[in-house]
Amino acid sequence: MRRALALATGLLVILALVLPAGAQTREETLIYSLQSDVDNWDPPNSVLREAIILGYHVYDHLAVRDVKTRRVVPHLATSWTNIDDTTWEVKLRQGVKFHDGTPFTSRDVKATFDRVLDPTKKMTARGNHAKIKGVDIIDDHTVRFRTDGPYPLFVERLTAQVMQSDKVIREKGHEWMQENPVGTGPYKLVRWNRKQEHQLVRNDDYWGPKPAFKYLRIRIIPEKATEIAELLSGGVDIIKAVPPDQMDVINKSGQAHTGTSPILRTAMLQLDQAARSGPNPFTDRRVRQAANLAVDNDAIIKFVLNGLGDRVATGVNPMAFGWDPGLKPYKQDLAQAKKLLAEAGHPNGVDVLFNEGPPVVEPAIQQTNDAIVADMTKAGFRVKRNYIGDNTVLVAKIKDGKAGSMFNWSWGYYSVFDADAILFDVFKCGENYSYYCNPALDDLIIQGRSTLDQKKRAEVYVKAQKLLFDDAAYLYKWGLRGVWGISNRIEYQAPADEVDRMFLVTPKKK
Amino acid sequence: MKRYALRQVLQLAVVIVGISMLAFAILHVIGDPVTLLLPQNAGKEEYARYNKLLGLDKPIYVQYWKFATRAVQGDFGKSWYADTPAFKLVLERMLPTLYLTTAGLVTALLIALPLGILAALKRHSFVDSLCTVAAVAGQAMPIFWLGIMLIIIFAVQLRLLPASGYGTWRHFLMPSFTLGAFLAPITMRLVRSGVIEIMNMEYIKTARAKGLAERLVVIKHAFRNACIPVITVLGLQFGQLLGGAVVTETVFAWPGVATLTVDAIRNQDFPVVQCAVVLLALIIVAINFLVDMIVGLIDPRIRVGA
Repeated sequence: MRRALALATGLLVILALVLPAGAQTREETLIYSLQSDVDNWDPPNSVLREAIILGYHVYDHLAVRDVKTRRVVPHLATSWTNIDDTTWEVKLRQGVKFHDGTPFTSRDVKATFDRVLDPTKKMTARGNHAKIKGVDIIDDHTVRFRTDGPYPLFVERLTAQVMQSDKVIREKGHEWMQENPVGTGPYKLVRWNRKQEHQLVRNDDYWGPKPAFKYLRIRIIPEKATEIAELLSGGVDIIKAVPPDQMDVINKSGQAHTGTSPILRTAMLQLDQAARSGPNPFTDRRVRQAANLAVDNDAIIKFVLNGLGDRVATGVNPMAFGWDPGLKPYKQDLAQAKKLLAEAGHPNGVDVLFNEGPPVVEPAIQQTNDAIVADMTKAGFRVKRNYIGDNTVLVAKIKDGKAGSMFNWSWGYYSVFDADAILFDVFKCGENYSYYCNPALDDLIIQGRSTLDQKKRAEVYVKAQKLLFDDAAYLYKWGLRGVWGISNRIEYQAPADEVDRMFLVTPKKK
Repeated sequence: MKRYALRQVLQLAVVIVGISMLAFAILHVIGDPVTLLLPQNAGKEEYARYNKLLGLDKPIYVQYWKFATRAVQGDFGKSWYADTPAFKLVLERMLPTLYLTTAGLVTALLIALPLGILAALKRHSFVDSLCTVAAVAGQAMPIFWLGIMLIIIFAVQLRLLPASGYGTWRHFLMPSFTLGAFLAPITMRLVRSGVIEIMNMEYIKTARAKGLAERLVVIKHAFRNACIPVITVLGLQFGQLLGGAVVTETVFAWPGVATLTVDAIRNQDFPVVQCAVVLLALIIVAINFLVDMIVGLIDPRIRVGA
């Protein structure tokens, strides 16, 4: 038996030695961690936020958002102009090369969009660009986009499309592209160990500012407590989605600190005004207003969320184009809430069903739900709570029109900083995620997306927000704030669009 | 011994066919796979096309035969989620899990054998009580809690070990201890009771009477017999160990097959679930076969009596 034990131990040691060991020095390596991995390395073929983030490191976009000003600025494009209401001309940067050495030209832009727009390819990103009818090559560095009617979000949406290589699309094909990204971006992928780690190396031929760190490792660590332990022990440099109650632990560690940023995501309780899941009390405007007046959201943000939220008057986020700063949010007024409920025929209170979501998107969602329900109870709502532990189940119910009279929902705008990106998907009659239906609002939404005149669009959205506020479409909560954990060895500014850019990280100045 | 082995192999074949049927059924008991695969706005034509494409229009035994013959060749179809062959995905992640469970098993034995024998020989002493307390504590400790405590102590406070990940021998220490601590208590209790029982047997008295050194009495005569229930239970516990591996892999960001399977279930990625279920079941079956063989070798009564 002793011999057997010795043998087993010996085997174990050999196994350990055979396994690959780390190579580069820690000094020149930046380590970022994500809680879950991407499904592929072909960003237009993925719905995951992680795919967008990884895409930014290996690929480039025609336009990108400036992290400081939050404005969209040219990137692989150098300029864009609209020649008429349905044609955009885009000039391309010269001297840019893909990782395989081929130069970037208008053929690549056309091939990229042709691939995404081809309905038989079933690319996830197709919906983002459905308004684009086609791309025409004018010369090597000029392309024209034809759109289906005026398309004011054209430039915003350019930030959501990576530029892939015509040669790779033609010669290597779809299958190959799922695991082998060839971009023009600041880093090149060296190795992908699925659900474990991505190893990247700096693209020394990059046309733009080169990243400070030569090596980038992106580790997949599913457990939040482990992620935080890695940050505190120096194993990882940047983590995201730090829970509010862990901020103190990180800030007092001497090893790392937290950074916060408002992010483009608005949290609400959707109310079934459209009666998609059957008759319910919220089809009456007075009941919806009563719900909005019942809850003290300011107190919840301050005491439950540690200040990590920005109050909103409607679903429109303060960072989105079209937001109306003049519109003030509902203030808690229990007497008025009770009065409205009585007027609506519920003097003795009213029963409502609340489908609650799991804590995957909104921080501390259970605690904030507790507080909201407590406030609603004071005003006379008898809330029956139903917890749905799996987000995909909740999403399926919502799409199916089975989400009930009230449910948790937040909207990330697909990272498009424009009021249209929430109004159309979440408030328009008949859309998958909308439980509100009001032809007057639909008119405004259509007006807003049918002109390129930004001044006129802003006016339309002010009207739309007034309508949504007065009609209390949903129970409006707050704009979310993200929390990042950042090692003290580096400098990093938390991004508002939830796209971490490791190529902007620099070592801390000593 | 040959007949004994042959009978075990025949039993194995039945079990394997049963497993393959269960794995095949996974796809069908959860509802209509085509509805799951297609977008909600898909029309009837597209439905019929997919139904045919997946071969779901054929009788169920034809479908099973196709599944089984492909599975034997390692073809479980493509992952619905990752667009790569399910077999490749599962195989890539199988080794880390096998390393982890083996290391956990070895750790458990390294803890359980000496402590179990010691507790048995010094029955009702302070050492015995201490071992009992340790066993109860070990059994009561949730794996994820122990894992996170180890990380906080050895990675965050002492900076001796990497907090998580996979790659060098240093990455092995905490996960294998965590998993070992989960299996050690029950093994230790078994070793203890086995040795106690055997130390009262007549043949031990005989061994002592003929003047054999106590060390040889314990190791050669007592321990060998005490091993039989321990080995059997370890074989049975291997499935439990895989369950423990799900948590251990998650806490330590270990790229194993256990977390892959749980993720696949969550994503409704059935080819991967089927492939993982079949391969893991095969491993458990193989281990139990090995256990039967070892036990048969150690104890002739079993192979004759069975």
